[in-house]
Amino acid sequence: MSDGTAPGMPSKTSLRLTTAACLLGLVGLFFSLLHFIWPTPLNFALFMIVGQGSFGLALVAYAFAILKDLRRKKIL
Amino acid sequence: MPGGGVFSGDLDNVMRWVSGAGILLGLASAGILTTVLFRSPDWRVSAAAKWMLLIGLFLLPGVTMLFGNVVGFHKVKNSCTQCHTMDPWIADMKNPKSITLVAKHFQNRWIPDDQCYTCHTGYGLAGNVRAKIGGLSHIAHEYVTGVPEVIHIHRPFAVETCLHCHGESAKYLKIDQHVDAEMSPKILSGELSCFECHASPHPRTKP
Repeated sequence: MSDGTAPGMPSKTSLRLTTAACLLGLVGLFFSLLHFIWPTPLNFALFMIVGQGSFGLALVAYAFAILKDLRRKKIL
Repeated sequence: MPGGGVFSGDLDNVMRWVSGAGILLGLASAGILTTVLFRSPDWRVSAAAKWMLLIGLFLLPGVTMLFGNVVGFHKVKNSCTQCHTMDPWIADMKNPKSITLVAKHFQNRWIPDDQCYTCHTGYGLAGNVRAKIGGLSHIAHEYVTGVPEVIHIHRPFAVETCLHCHGESAKYLKIDQHVDAEMSPKILSGELSCFECHASPHPRTKP
């Protein structure tokens, strides 16, 4: 195994990426909820920059996690 | 009741519904992501986890972000009036005794809604993006660097903004200077500002 995980278990990198994706997704959702509840110009700017930015990073992290798993299973 | 009621098609009411839906979808998505975070590592690679992440990380937040943009771009059109810096100009616009162009446009309901945004945003996609970037700099001034004592418009007022409504109208074409062979190209190209002949839209100094 490339990262020392037992067969049948998810790779540590892939798990870390999934965790990061969930956390970044939660950050993005926090700023979108803040903007929905208090729609001020500042909250909108935070939603646009920080919220959507971290949500985009979450998608990238999860895409890498999927790619890593597919490579590990030799599908790709 | 015209314009009222929970199910009215009034734009502000529609935005309330969109906000409500965005909050619900956002909370559902946050619930899914929290659930995934607190489950064991081997569960996180199960088919159930993948389905949950498909919904909680792609579908629901995607719609939430879309709704956030829809609500945000609607609400931000009125945000000029939320900053005290603009209070004197807003007061002049709403003053029934004022004879400035902006006051005339407001009093006669020539621009019924979002008056600041309508005139200070270029038409078309590029214009709107420029307006958003300008808005971000205004937020930076308001919360970080402070608002300057004297404020100026970023760039000369685009003649296209006036011509978008007035150009080619019967009233516009009746004026000799507007159709003059020498002046017309200069007006259309922006070389000659509308305010060379017409009064300033706002008071020249702080009202």
